[in-house]
Amino acid sequence: MAEPVADINGLSFTYSGSGSPALENINLQIYPGQFLTVTGPSGCGKSTLALCLAGFIPHAYAGKMEGSVRIQGKNTRDYPAGGLSGIVGLVQQDPEAQLCTLTVCDEVAFGPENLCIPAEEIRERVYSSLKAVGALELIDRQVHTLSGGEKQRVAIASVLAMNPALLILDEPTANLDPSCTREVLETLNRLKENHDVAIIVIEHRLERLLPISDRFLLMENGKIAEESASSEPYKRYITSNHVLLNNEPEPQGKDTADYMKAAEGSPLLLVKNLKAGYEGRDVITDVSFCAFPGETIAVMGSNGSGKTTLLMALLGVLKQKEGIIFLHGKDIVKQKVTRRARDMGLTFQNPNHQIFENTVFKEAKMASRFLSDKNYAEIEFEVSQLLHEFDLQQYRDKNPFSLSLGEKKRLNLISVLAYSPRILILDEPIVGQDSGRLALLVNALQKHSEEGGITLMVCHEPDVVAACCQRVLFFSQGKLIIDAPVKGAWEILAQLGMNEYLPSTYETDMGGKVQR
Amino acid sequence: MSFFPNTIYNKALSAVKGAFPGLIYVNKESKLHSMHPLVKLTMLLCFSISVFAVPSWLGGVILLGAVLVAYHLAGLGLAFFYRKLRFILIFGLFILIVQVLAVKDGLLIWQFSLGSLSLSVWSEGLLGGLCMMLRFVNIISSSYLFIATTDPNRLAYSLMQAGLPYRFGFMLITALRFIPVFQQELEQVKNAQMAKGIDMEGLSPRKLLRAVRYLFVPLVISALSKVDFLSNSMEGRAFGLYNERSYMYTQAWSKSDRIAVVLVPIAFLIFYLVLG
Repeated sequence: MAEPVADINGLSFTYSGSGSPALENINLQIYPGQFLTVTGPSGCGKSTLALCLAGFIPHAYAGKMEGSVRIQGKNTRDYPAGGLSGIVGLVQQDPEAQLCTLTVCDEVAFGPENLCIPAEEIRERVYSSLKAVGALELIDRQVHTLSGGEKQRVAIASVLAMNPALLILDEPTANLDPSCTREVLETLNRLKENHDVAIIVIEHRLERLLPISDRFLLMENGKIAEESASSEPYKRYITSNHVLLNNEPEPQGKDTADYMKAAEGSPLLLVKNLKAGYEGRDVITDVSFCAFPGETIAVMGSNGSGKTTLLMALLGVLKQKEGIIFLHGKDIVKQKVTRRARDMGLTFQNPNHQIFENTVFKEAKMASRFLSDKNYAEIEFEVSQLLHEFDLQQYRDKNPFSLSLGEKKRLNLISVLAYSPRILILDEPIVGQDSGRLALLVNALQKHSEEGGITLMVCHEPDVVAACCQRVLFFSQGKLIIDAPVKGAWEILAQLGMNEYLPSTYETDMGGKVQR
Repeated sequence: MSFFPNTIYNKALSAVKGAFPGLIYVNKESKLHSMHPLVKLTMLLCFSISVFAVPSWLGGVILLGAVLVAYHLAGLGLAFFYRKLRFILIFGLFILIVQVLAVKDGLLIWQFSLGSLSLSVWSEGLLGGLCMMLRFVNIISSSYLFIATTDPNRLAYSLMQAGLPYRFGFMLITALRFIPVFQQELEQVKNAQMAKGIDMEGLSPRKLLRAVRYLFVPLVISALSKVDFLSNSMEGRAFGLYNERSYMYTQAWSKSDRIAVVLVPIAFLIFYLVLG
């Protein structure tokens, strides 16, 4: 066999200040042209492995490293951070933070320019790497006008322009909606076919990478738990995820008949002809729907279709331009946001923007201080219980910013649940949750529903929607195009050809499984 | 994007915006826009030196005339000049009035008295005030014109190609890159505060302090987390590996740019010798 691109021998790494190693005795060889998928629960050391391979550890991060990482025979210890650029390239999670120039063209040229490559060759590289990610038409665009998927493709192109022998992508689709995710995955597929670069993808959502990967690696607690060339063990890993969700008791009202029955009562929330947007630009127009006590409703659609705008307009953070919103039969359009917030608990997409206090416990009870009628002791008791329920008890006195993404998201949810609003409005609550934690979340939503509450949830995971929602509101270009019970919504989406929004278990009319 | 015109942030924000109206690059097609940024920088430098080197009010008037012509050449026009620099003009007028009232030297031009109150205008006060006002207006309006007609990205790349260490150039570029990002984040933090029931209407000092604390903590944390990603991304693409770097596009000097960069300083020198 050929020389490995990357050769890891007995690698262990402990971040300074941490008691337990993030990586423990890793041995791994990666060969040219291979497509390796690395998966595992959050905190298992996947990202640390990526940083070691890219040479940032041991140089840019403090800690204790044992063993060796050789990239094309070169020991990463002997090269400063960035010294191996041109051989190994790393694409990170956050598409926003890894672009450093103002135009796409400058961004892709940035790496080769730093390597002092002649202008003529840079131009060729910019052209070919943008072509490789299918983004040639973006070449003259300003970076801040790109969508998340476009940014991520540009980030990949900008690394490809360095002609790396090894390309590492750390959860490249974590912040993307299904259509952008499909864009990025198609790009990866194309790279694999056309180039002999070795690719490592670190990914939570494994099922999408099954068809294109040559090798799989499952990590747990900083160790390689399983490795194989076939996807069989991983199919098992995925299935256990699904089983977990599908074993949940069927939520009430899932059938159309039940849904109709519920609809006979009076709606708790009624929205009619809602129009909202920013100065000079309407994002959503003519949105009408109602929601009945006990309903869990998924809000779906691509980025920029108006989902978040709807949530903001419901809470009143964004002033609506037209339309009515009735809650409990009462017009709430005139109410202040802080008044509406008592009935509507909203969590935002990015958890960092909604953490204000310096300990987890204080943060969890902060919103209740402003919004709950209960007395102080009751709030504290309730919050303690919720922390326990959501597996955050051990962090009670820690700084909330030190938590992982998934933990922060759970903390956000707790701070809302603590003052028990009738309506929960959640923007992508399940991001970063592994299967066990997902179940916690699904349970909480179910409890909320049993108590007669409504949940409106923006969610990009059709499997989760299928498991815990009764209805789907689907947005496209600012219009509510589908308002139907879950199964009906899948049928309409399948007819519209939007397969990326269908659950993996969904069978199309054509017979076979959905092609992704 | 002002959702609630009466919240303190928006009040503060509009106050700042009022003082520095639209201090940004205005994308247009004009002779001045297409000029090489370094030529414009040279012109600005010569102009600023002249503003202080030429001590007479006549020189000030001529320079102001030149700025107005340049505004016209840039396709921005006088209406734009007035709209954007209203605040500066009013402030300049204020300087003039203070000078006129304070300096009592030279020839007495005009006198007015009402009982014990008497006002007098002296020639030195008027001319000196005019001179100061013109200097103030000239410096600000010429710098403003430079900013409005120079793409900051092109400026940064030109400076780096002219010898500015590229680390400094990219400081400017990344700062510009993240302005819209942080604007967006600020908006989101404000929304999150309202959703948590933090009432931001009203201006009591306690509320203000709390709002500021709740605003800056998430913003700073978010900025710090971006820094990690950004530095990995830049170092991972060989930023800082060598002292030199190459450029895909050279900021081209046209023939008229080359002529201008020589002639402009000479023109200003002659102007100084004639009037100074």
